[in-house]
Amino acid sequence: MSNVLVFAETRDGALRKIALEATTAARAFADSTGGGEVHAIVIGPAGVGAAATALGEHGADVVVVAENAALGNFDREVVAATIAARASAGSYKAVIMGFSAQGRDIGPRVAAKLDAPIATDVTSIRADGETVVVTHPAYANKVIVTLAVTAPTVVLSVRPSAITPVANAKAGRVETMAISGDPSASKVVVKEMLQGGKDKIDLGEAPVIVSGGRGLKAPENFALVEALAAAFGNAAVGATRAVTDDGWRPHSDQIGQTGRQVSPQLYIACGISGAIQHLAGMRTSKTIVAINKDKEAPIFKVADYGIVGDVLEILPVLTNAVREAKATH
Amino acid sequence: MTSSSVLFLFVLTLGAGFFALNVQRLFGYMRLGLSEDRSDHPFVRLKNVLTIGIAQSKIFRDPVAGAMHATIFWGFMVLTAGTVEILIQGVIPSFSYALILPQPIYLLYALSQDAFAGLVILAIGFAFYRRLVLHPKRLDGDNLEHTDALIILGLIGGLMVTLLLASACQFVVDPSSVIVSKLVSRGLAGAIGQVDPNPVVLAQVFWWAHVLLVLSFLNYLPYSKHLHVATSLINVYLSNTSGPGQNGVMRPMDLEAEVDHFGAADVEDLTWKNLLDGYSCTECGRCTAACPANQTGKTLSPRKIVINARQRLMEKGPLVTNDRMDFLRPALLHGEGRDGGATTAAEVMEHRLLDTFITEEELWACTSCRACVQECPVSIDQLDIINQMRRYLVLSESRFPEEVQPTFESLERVGSPWAFSPGDRAKWAEGLDIPTMAEVVERGERPDILFWVGCMGSFDDRAKKIAVAFARILKACSVNFAILGQEEHCHGDPARRMGTEYLYQTLATDTIGTLDRYEVKTIVTSCPHCFHQMGNEFPQLGGNYEVIHHSTFIERLLEENRVPLRGEEGKRLTVAYHDSCYLGRYNDVYDAPRETLRRALPVINLVEPPRTKDRGFCCGAGGGRMFMEETQGKRINIERTEELLATGAETIAVACPFCMTMITDGANAVGSSVPVLDIAEVVASQLS
Amino acid sequence: MKIAVCIKRTPDSESRFKIAPSSTGIDETGLKFDIDDFASYAVEVALQLNEKQGPGETVVYAVGPDSVQETLRKAMSMGVDRAVQLKADAAGLQDGLAVAKALAAELKTGGYDLILFGKHAFDTSAGVVGTAVAELLGVACVTAATKLDIANGRGTARRELEGAAEMVEFALPAVVTIDEGIARPRYPSLKGIMAAKKKPLETKPAQIGAPRVVVKSMELPPERPAGRIIGEGPAAVPELIRLLQTEAKVL
Repeated sequence: MSNVLVFAETRDGALRKIALEATTAARAFADSTGGGEVHAIVIGPAGVGAAATALGEHGADVVVVAENAALGNFDREVVAATIAARASAGSYKAVIMGFSAQGRDIGPRVAAKLDAPIATDVTSIRADGETVVVTHPAYANKVIVTLAVTAPTVVLSVRPSAITPVANAKAGRVETMAISGDPSASKVVVKEMLQGGKDKIDLGEAPVIVSGGRGLKAPENFALVEALAAAFGNAAVGATRAVTDDGWRPHSDQIGQTGRQVSPQLYIACGISGAIQHLAGMRTSKTIVAINKDKEAPIFKVADYGIVGDVLEILPVLTNAVREAKATH
Repeated sequence: MTSSSVLFLFVLTLGAGFFALNVQRLFGYMRLGLSEDRSDHPFVRLKNVLTIGIAQSKIFRDPVAGAMHATIFWGFMVLTAGTVEILIQGVIPSFSYALILPQPIYLLYALSQDAFAGLVILAIGFAFYRRLVLHPKRLDGDNLEHTDALIILGLIGGLMVTLLLASACQFVVDPSSVIVSKLVSRGLAGAIGQVDPNPVVLAQVFWWAHVLLVLSFLNYLPYSKHLHVATSLINVYLSNTSGPGQNGVMRPMDLEAEVDHFGAADVEDLTWKNLLDGYSCTECGRCTAACPANQTGKTLSPRKIVINARQRLMEKGPLVTNDRMDFLRPALLHGEGRDGGATTAAEVMEHRLLDTFITEEELWACTSCRACVQECPVSIDQLDIINQMRRYLVLSESRFPEEVQPTFESLERVGSPWAFSPGDRAKWAEGLDIPTMAEVVERGERPDILFWVGCMGSFDDRAKKIAVAFARILKACSVNFAILGQEEHCHGDPARRMGTEYLYQTLATDTIGTLDRYEVKTIVTSCPHCFHQMGNEFPQLGGNYEVIHHSTFIERLLEENRVPLRGEEGKRLTVAYHDSCYLGRYNDVYDAPRETLRRALPVINLVEPPRTKDRGFCCGAGGGRMFMEETQGKRINIERTEELLATGAETIAVACPFCMTMITDGANAVGSSVPVLDIAEVVASQLS
Repeated sequence: MKIAVCIKRTPDSESRFKIAPSSTGIDETGLKFDIDDFASYAVEVALQLNEKQGPGETVVYAVGPDSVQETLRKAMSMGVDRAVQLKADAAGLQDGLAVAKALAAELKTGGYDLILFGKHAFDTSAGVVGTAVAELLGVACVTAATKLDIANGRGTARRELEGAAEMVEFALPAVVTIDEGIARPRYPSLKGIMAAKKKPLETKPAQIGAPRVVVKSMELPPERPAGRIIGEGPAAVPELIRLLQTEAKVL
C-alpha cells in the first residue's frame, strides 16, 4: 500500500498528454502495491485546477491544485518547491512525472530537495518490496537497463509515449494548497515563448525530415517534398550532396558526411539512392522510409520501410494520406 | 697586356664579383630553410639530370614549346664553350681552341657554334611570337610578370646576334682568322662587307657588346625567374620527385619533437630544398595547366604556391639574414620581395607565407593528384609544400573545412572515415565463406595473402560489390587468402593527406601492430590509396610488407592462366579506363589494369581519353577531397566524366573505389547511363 | 569568467554493444571511449565564452576511476586550463543524485560563475546530475539549453520544449546543461594535445555515498526488424501509413 504523487504537467493552462501518461503509470504502480492512493498535483496560474477532471478520470484519487496568479510561464523553481513541499507533507513512495522538457528540469530538483534517489526516462515501474524496479532504455536506446531504486521515497520520470493513458476513474477529490517559493524571486525567468512552426524548423531539431535526392529529376519537384513536410507540420526538408552541389537546394540543407548529421524520429528519403556520403548523415534516424525507383538502391538496406516506384507519383499520394492521418489523429 | 685586355679583366671581375655576391645572398636566404639530406642515391639523381635535365624529357611533354626550349637549352650548352673561348680571348687575344683541338674537331666545334647561334635565334623568334601573338593560356594568370621574360629573350637574342656579327666582321677584316665551318658568320660577312669593307671597329664593338651582354645576362639572372638557367640542373639532381625512393611519399614527421609548432606556416618551416624549388621555377605554368583544381576554376595554382614561397623568401630573407648586401635587393623589375606589400620591417615580420601569400582555401583545394609534380620540367615538388602547410593548419591551428571534422572524429573513434559500426566491417563477406585472419591462425594455418578490404570496400554499398567481385576471383583461382574482418581499420591515409599526422600515426601504428601480430607478408588491396599508404609509407613507421594492387594481382593470375574465364567472345565493348592517381602517378601502374581488361574481354575496344596515364585527370576525391565540399568552379568529377564519355565508351572502367564514387556521381549528374565498373567486376563477370 | 565543466567518459555511440557476463554492465572489450558528446559541447561553449569575454579560467571535472584522466586530458587539449578528477568506482555512478552531491561538495568552494554539464550522458541517458547540482548549490539552473549568452553578469538561454521553445534569463552564478546544436566542439590541435600533457590534473577522492540506484540487469532490446520493401508505387502508401502509425508509432 503505497501512495504516489504525480506532477501533472500543464502548459498555457492546459493539461499535457504526458500528465495523463504519468498518472496512468502512477495508478498502475499504486495498484500493484496493493492499492495506495494517487495524488496528482497541478501547479499554475488561476484556472489550471480545471485539469482535475481529466486527472480523476485517469486514476487520481486526489488532485492537489496550487494556483497562483503570478505563475505565468513555467516557473521551474516554484513548481519544484511546491511538489517537494507536498511530497514532504504526505507519505509517498514515489513522486512520478513525465520525462518531458519540464520533467527533465523538475525531477532532479525535487530529488535533491527531498534527498530522494531518482530514475529518469523509465518505461516501466514495479515494486519489489521496499525497492522500486524500473526499466530505462539507455545508451541511446541500444541497451535496456533495469534499475533498482531503494529509498523511502523515490523520484521517477516516465518516457513520453511509452505508456498509453488509460481511463480509470477515481474520485479526483480536489484539494488546494499554496505554492511554495516566491515567483518574483525566481532565479530563472521565462522572457519569451517561441511557438513551434513559426520559423523554419532546423534539421537538427526536427522530429521528421523529408529529404530529396536526384531521383526528383528537377529542382522544381522539391515542391513535392516541401508539401509532404508541410503535411507533417513538424518536418524539415533535407537534401543529398548531389542535389546541393547542383544548386537545387542550398548547401545548408545537405544531410551527410559533409553536411548535417541528423537522427530524427522519422526520415523519409525521396529519390535518394543512399550513397555512403548520405548514409553517414542519416542512418541513425529512428525510423527510415525510402522511396526509390531502383529496388537495388542501397537506401533500402537501411530503410525500415521501402516503396519501389516513381517518387514523383508517390509523393502527392503520400502527402494526402499524411494530411488525412494527421487530421483524424 | 693591352689596355683592352686590362679593361676587359676589370669588367669581367666586376661582373663575376657582382654575380658572386648575389649567389651568396640567395644562398643565405635558402639556408633559412630546415636542413634535409639529399645526398642519397647519387646515381639515380645523376640519371635524372641526364634525362630530365640534359635530354629535356619533361620539356618535350609539350612538343612545340619543348622543341623551342630544348633548342635554346642545348644552344646554351654548346655556346657556353664558345663563351669561354671568347672570355679567354679577352685576356689573350691570340687564343683559340684551334690551338688545343685537332682540326676536324675544331671544325665541328666552330660549325656547332654558328649553327646553334642561328637555331637559337630562330627559337627566340618563335618564343617572342608565342608570347606576343599566340598568348598560350598557361603563361597567363597568377599575376605573372611578362616583361621579365621579354627582357631575357631580348638578351639571349642579343647574345646570339652579337656573337655572329662579331665573327662576321672578323671574317671581313681577315678571312683567314675565321674558320671555314662558320657558315652563318661567313654568310653574314658578305652583307657586312658591302657596307664596310674593313670593319675593324665594328668587330670590336660587337665583340664588346657580346661580352657585356654575357655579363649583363649573368647578373640579371638573380633578379629574374630565369634564375632557373643557373639552378635547374642542380634542382633536378637534388629533387626527389622522380625517385630516388618511392614517388609521392609524404615526409616522415617526428611528433615528439620539441618544436614551437608543427608543419609549415612560413618559409623557415620549409626545407632548403623547397626554397631552391622557388629559385628554380620559371613560371612556365605546366603544373597549373595540369592541376585539376585549377582547371575547374578553383583558386589553387601550384605555380602560385611555388612563386609565393619565393616571394615570401625574398620579402623576409633580407631582414632575417641581416643582409649586409641589402643594396643588392631586387629593385629592378620583378620587384620580388615587395609582392606582399610590406613597407616596414614590422610588416614583413607580421607577414607569413600562410594567409599573407597562400590562403587556406587554396591548400584545401588540392586533390594531391601529383599532376603538377609530374609535369614540372625542373622537378619542383609543389605538393610537398602544400602537404606541409596542411599539416600546420591542422596540427598547429586546428584549421580545416568544418565538414571535415566528422571524418576526423570517425577515424579516431571508429577507425573509418564514416561513422559506421566497426562491428559491421565484414558484413559484405557474410555467406561468402571468406575466413578471417584470426580464424585461419586459430586453425594453425597461414594464408598466402591478406586481402585488405579498405573502408570503402567494407562500408560503401557500391564498393562492397568490388570487394565481393575480387573475392570471387580469388576463390575461383584457389588463392589462399584471408581478411582481417573486424580487426581491420583505416590505416590513416586520409588523415595524413588532410594534415592530421597525429591521427594518421596512431591509426597506422595500430594497423602495423595488427599486421605484424599475424606475421603478414603479402597484402592485396583493391584500393590504390591503401596500396600506396601501406606499401610506400608504412616503412616510415616500421611496417614492411609486399603490397600489391588488385589490378596487378589479377593480371598476374590471368597471365598464369589461373583465372577460369568463360572464354566467350561476346560482343565488342568500347571501354575507357580512368587512371587512378595513386595507382598511376604515385606508383607507375598504368599497364596492369589495361592488360587485365584486355585479357578478360578479348574483343574489347580500349579507348583512351585525351588526358590519360601519367597525364590522367584526377576524379576529384584524392587528398581528402572526398570528405570536403566542392563549391568553387566546375566539379572535377564532372569535368573528368565528360572527358571519359566523350571517348564514346560504353563502359567506364576504374580501379579505385573513390574514383568509382566520383565517376558514378559524375555520370549521374550529366544524365549518362554508361555503367562504371571496377576492373575486378569486369573480370568477375567473365568467370566461368 | 571562472567556468567549471563537468564531463563524462562514455563509449562511442556507434558501437555495437554486448552485455557483460555479469549482466549488470556492458562488455567493454573493443569499445572506444571518449568524452561524451554533450559534455564536449559544454566544453566548447565554456571555451568560447571565455574567449569572447577575455581572461578567465576553465576547469573540467569528472567523477570516476582513473580512466577518466584520459578524458580530462582530452578536454584540456581543446583548451581547458586544468582538470580535477573526483575518484570513485564506476559502479556507484548510476545514482545521479549521489554523483551530484560529490560534485556539489567540490564545486561549492570553487567560486565559479558558471558550471556547465552536458544535457545527459550517452551511457546512463539520465540527465540528473547537472540540474541536481544546481539545486544542491542553490543556484540558477537552465536544463538543456540550445543557446547560451552571458552578458553583464546575467545569462540568457534558449530551451526547446515539445513543439515550442522558451527564452529564459537567469542570474549568475548558474548551472547550465547543454543540449546539442549549440556549438560544434573544436578539434584539438597537436599543439593542444602536447600542451594538455603538461597542464595540471588534480586527483582527489569523491565524497560519494552508497548508491541508492543500482543496475539490476541489462539486456539488449529486440533486434530492429530488417527493413522491408512494402510495395510498389502509390498503391503501397496506405500500408506505409498504417505501419508508421501502428508499428513505428511516428505518425
